[in-house]
Amino acid sequence: MSRYQGWFAFVLALAIAAGMFLVRTPLQLGLDLRGGSQLTVELRPAGEITSVGDKELEAVKAVLDRRVNGLGVAESTLQTVGTNQLVLQLPGEQDPTAAARILGDTALLEFRAQSPDSEVNFRSLRQLQSQASAILQLRENQRSRGETPEPLNLETLSETLAELGVALPSGDGDAQLKTILERVDAELLTLLEPAALTGKQLVSAGRQPLQNNPNSWEVTLNFDSEGAESFADLTKSIAGTDRLLAITLDNRLISAASVGPQFKNAGISGGAATISGNFSAETARELEVKLRGGSLPLPVEVIEVRTIGPTLGAENIRRSLQAALSGLALVAVFMVVAYRLPGVVAVVALSLYALFNLTVYALLPVTLTLPGIAGFILSIGMAVDANVLIFERIKDELRRGNTLIRSIDTGFSEAFSSILDGHLTTLISCAALFLLGTGLVKGFAATLGIGVLLSLFTALTCTRTLLRFLMGYAGLRRPGNFLPQGQLPTKAA
Amino acid sequence: MADSSSEIKVLRLQLSASRRRVWLVSGLALILSVAGLLACWFNPEIGTPLRPGLDFTGGTQIQLERDCGSSCRDLKALAVSDLIRTVELPTESDQPPPNIRSPRVQLLDGGESLLLRLPTLSAAQGQTLIAAVEPVAGPFVDGGQAVDTIGPSLGRQLLRTTLISLLAAFAGIAVYISFRYDGRYAVLALVALAHDVLIVCGIFAWLGLLLQLEVDSLFAVALLTIAGYSVNDTVVVFDRIRERRRQDADLSLQEQVDQAVSATLTRTLYTSGTTLLPLVALILFGGSTLYWFAVALALGVVVGSWSSIALAPSLLTVWDRSGDA
Repeated sequence: MSRYQGWFAFVLALAIAAGMFLVRTPLQLGLDLRGGSQLTVELRPAGEITSVGDKELEAVKAVLDRRVNGLGVAESTLQTVGTNQLVLQLPGEQDPTAAARILGDTALLEFRAQSPDSEVNFRSLRQLQSQASAILQLRENQRSRGETPEPLNLETLSETLAELGVALPSGDGDAQLKTILERVDAELLTLLEPAALTGKQLVSAGRQPLQNNPNSWEVTLNFDSEGAESFADLTKSIAGTDRLLAITLDNRLISAASVGPQFKNAGISGGAATISGNFSAETARELEVKLRGGSLPLPVEVIEVRTIGPTLGAENIRRSLQAALSGLALVAVFMVVAYRLPGVVAVVALSLYALFNLTVYALLPVTLTLPGIAGFILSIGMAVDANVLIFERIKDELRRGNTLIRSIDTGFSEAFSSILDGHLTTLISCAALFLLGTGLVKGFAATLGIGVLLSLFTALTCTRTLLRFLMGYAGLRRPGNFLPQGQLPTKAA
Repeated sequence: MADSSSEIKVLRLQLSASRRRVWLVSGLALILSVAGLLACWFNPEIGTPLRPGLDFTGGTQIQLERDCGSSCRDLKALAVSDLIRTVELPTESDQPPPNIRSPRVQLLDGGESLLLRLPTLSAAQGQTLIAAVEPVAGPFVDGGQAVDTIGPSLGRQLLRTTLISLLAAFAGIAVYISFRYDGRYAVLALVALAHDVLIVCGIFAWLGLLLQLEVDSLFAVALLTIAGYSVNDTVVVFDRIRERRRQDADLSLQEQVDQAVSATLTRTLYTSGTTLLPLVALILFGGSTLYWFAVALALGVVVGSWSSIALAPSLLTVWDRSGDA
């Protein structure tokens, strides 16, 4: 009997420890339970890299990690999924627009000198660009105020277009303007020399409002020593000429500046530069974050965005908890009615089971999602099954006229092989789902797998220990506590 | 050990005598299920054995909780879809905005929440659309919105990984049962499993035809669970049959199977019952997200109990006899 008292003390100590741990360590809730955004990006092979491997994935992850940290969302996580995907989770974030923009851009920053003898062309292209984008901006502003912009007459531009060898595209006004802007972008790039310096040599980036116009911002850059040297060389080569220093981002010209003749001898040294390109506070911040994170070695595409509001999450968790608890209460009532004293023991053991489960979730930790909770509820069903199997065997033994203690021991040992087989087959499925499945399938397999393992432990240890411990009290040691009197064999038989 | 002749059986089942009826029931259910799957497949509107949801087709789904106060303003789904048709979406990265001329609009929970189904939208386009719908369908609960955008490649990937993991699970279970029992039991456990999964799929195919119900990734999770549960259920009955065969080797196989099924009947019914209790609770209180998931699981539990009480043991009696002859 002392052996069971020792086990009893052990189970009790374990339960207290689990309870104390759980009070201190909150459970991690998935985005579907507390609200937030989840974005999935996929890497696309490009250029010399024809297939995406672990190396590329890690390189992209490192860059995106830095960008995401720049966003400043608390507890954001970025994980690799499969061979070519990354999942970003932003708890609490309701508007993933900014995050999607930050993730998606390659952010290839280049500093390029304008080619010699291209000044005239370059200037007219820039002029056309600013005209076209100003008209486009105006029309968008009108639309946002609810006005309908007048039909466009682009005849005024046609002369300039003809000069540049750009044909007036067909389509309605806005589409025409956009096509023109695209053509201009492409034309401008042909007038630039190859990149002398890229974002790789960047040490830090910052932003500040312009002194004469606080609504307009500029982005400041600092290069490492190698970059500072290249920058000095680059600026020296064009100082005092009409050629401009062009800054391109993802192969689009975002800024072009002249370099004064005073830099003719040494170039702009010190490794610092600014980009002023009509930035608002918001766009300046996004560019700064992207530049700081560095450019992506491969283009990525956002293939999934999921957003769930915190109320919807809270509603989900409240309802699921309600369901789980009421289901458990019904199961408890059923067990006590069907099995009497062992039923009560099973209820205690199953409460311990739930407690241990939650503790393991907090320990590992397992992030609880809706499918995860479903897996938990289902694993309770399996745990009950183990108890039912044992108690049915005990009843069988009692009906055959065995003594109580002997029936209990035989019940446990006879039920063991079927409990083991049932649990192990479920565990095999869980392992397959966890290793090969993705996302929510994984979460489900994790909680169900943990549940099945713990169920083996509680059914075979906790239930047995409690039952044997209670059998130490003579008042409880009556077959009538296990079976209705009518089903017991009479002593004479 | 007490001798088994003095056993008092509470429940007694003459399974072998009525096994033809068992096969008839299972056979009919299977035929109906396959008919449902085929009807879905050849339905030009669906084209797959089950009506695929957003998770598999790709697109954007927006769920909005309406702030109703005491009662909700009357809202027609048609009014919302008419409104969406007129919305102008901002362009994103030089690509033309997607065509949103045929949105699907559903009102859930008695009009308290609004579900929009659209082609793939960017995050900014989604926000534009929500802002456009708000004057008619709003106000919306702060933080009560869910926006899901899924690329079509993701659905294919989910389907592929789910099928692969399911097959791996099957193989693992088959190996384990062959090792612990023998090959016959493994095959029958998998037959029972395929029977359960097929019937639940069939029911959802019919629901897809009749109620336009779509299957999502949670349905795939439900199928995986049913597979695990079905095997667990069957294995316990097999374990008892094996035990009977060892202890009462001189009895006929049919008698052994009958005794084993009768002895485990209470357990199987109790276990199914206790598993159904939380599922019924989920169906009643779990909210819309888990409703059909719980329904699929509950169906799986019922069908799974049937196959492990009746179908698998009755098939064993036939196979074993022909094997002995």
